[in-house]
Amino acid sequence: MKQAAATSIGLGIPNIPLALVPGHVGTQSLEQLQQNILKVTVDQVIDNFTKATAAKGDRSEPGARDIVFTGGFSAVNEFFYEHEYSDGLPVVPPTVERVEEFLKYTDRSPDEMLGVVLPDNRAATVWSIAVNGVMAGCRPEFMPILVALVEAMCDPRYGVEHSGNTPGGDTLIILNGPIIKELEFNYTQGALRDGFLPNTTIGRFWRLYLRNVAGFLLHKTDKATFGNTWRVVFAENDDVLAEIGWTNTAESMGFKRGDNTVTIARYTGGGSLSSVSGSTPEQLLPYLADTVQKYHMWQLTFTVSHGNGTLRPLIIISPIIAQTIAKAGWSKSDVQQFLWEQARLPAWQLERQLRDWNIRGVWNLEEDVKAGKIPGLFFESADPQRMVPIVWKPEDIMIAVGGDPFRNNAYVFAHNAFLGFPTCKRIQLPNHWASLPKN
Amino acid sequence: MSSTPTPDGNHAVLWPRAPRQMQQKPLAPRLQDLEGKTIAFLWDELFRGDLIFDMIKEELAKRHPGMKFIGWEVFGSTHGDHEKEALAALPQKFRELGVDAVISGMAC
Repeated sequence: MKQAAATSIGLGIPNIPLALVPGHVGTQSLEQLQQNILKVTVDQVIDNFTKATAAKGDRSEPGARDIVFTGGFSAVNEFFYEHEYSDGLPVVPPTVERVEEFLKYTDRSPDEMLGVVLPDNRAATVWSIAVNGVMAGCRPEFMPILVALVEAMCDPRYGVEHSGNTPGGDTLIILNGPIIKELEFNYTQGALRDGFLPNTTIGRFWRLYLRNVAGFLLHKTDKATFGNTWRVVFAENDDVLAEIGWTNTAESMGFKRGDNTVTIARYTGGGSLSSVSGSTPEQLLPYLADTVQKYHMWQLTFTVSHGNGTLRPLIIISPIIAQTIAKAGWSKSDVQQFLWEQARLPAWQLERQLRDWNIRGVWNLEEDVKAGKIPGLFFESADPQRMVPIVWKPEDIMIAVGGDPFRNNAYVFAHNAFLGFPTCKRIQLPNHWASLPKN
Repeated sequence: MSSTPTPDGNHAVLWPRAPRQMQQKPLAPRLQDLEGKTIAFLWDELFRGDLIFDMIKEELAKRHPGMKFIGWEVFGSTHGDHEKEALAALPQKFRELGVDAVISGMAC
């Protein structure tokens, strides 16, 4: 109810009528559910139909370029924390001078609006990007990357409005292009860990922007049961990919090798695979296929009609694994084909997960196929033991390369489908980029 | 070691948010009564909405026998890959079907 009330403010209907089903519907017997509906919910539904709820007054807010506080570093941080502008870590005070430094690294006008971000329905302006970039501890020269990230956030295909859902996943930013080396991103050992300023601060910027401009606040519009914290930027190892002749993520997303791009997608889980061993693809890949399938359980709802096949699992493999596979003459597409054929589970298990465990009782694979909602390969026979894939096509399994070049480990990310769909934007550098200082 | 406190600086800091772009919208007028009204159900295919809507429908029909109901199946999921298209089509569908009020769920 709290999330609905908070979210409805941004949608322009702060007094939207709500009706409550007490408790959690997922833990009630049918009898309990019925009792609650009859005793509580139906009366509230009838009231909502027939009785007006009071209009709520507009809450005034500062203007786009207002100074909201003046004080020392500690006092600024206390003010920002009290007003839910910060993530609990100290922020760099966003002064006009600092913001203007950031604006030197873009040709875009500070008032340009890249989009409108839900749930708060706020304007994603270049100015607001610079303010939050300062706060996150970014350097001014990161500004073109920050702008590209917010363009991706505003792309309707990404689905930023779902960023407060209860699974509480978080976005991974994949960076490609010469900008990786130019701005000294870490793209080798420890590629997913904080400690390198570019990777770390830009990851933090993402979540600060979700907080301050999109409007995701815990206990209000952000309903994550547990949540993930923000992820550092993953800079892909473009050198290794070029060496072995595989496409990088930017190319997989429709750009050219050598383009500077950011790709964002939202992930709810996953984990590290240690010791992916073998000297041939046939020895290395079954472990990966098995793990990709195992890490996707409730997410299989996106494989079928609910998600319309928008599941896009991501596997990051270390360079030595990629090089070993490529040495056998396998392309990235060959790997995707193998994984698609092998990352499967019996049909009855997929149906049990969703129908019995996640209580989605309105469908089965046969119905979905006969209704034309999912491909026929999900019901090639009525045999419940038939193996079905977790994605519709081989290329739906995304593969990236990075991490410690000499460890045979991998990382699988379980995807949140259309609730954070992979979206890629080019990083536009200003005309005078070459002449601008970079630390 | 010096015991003089380090100055904390003096920072005039900017608002990190941005102006909202949505004006407040008034709610649709409430119904005078429920007799003979047509109620549509919208579902996001989550949280046992199918069962809950059936329970609500049954009880409303008992209390107001003339009410008519249009099931969630008619409108498409409000939380799927096609949710934007489903939502955009609603105003016309409601007009065509003579919908007087909507129950939309389920949030959790």
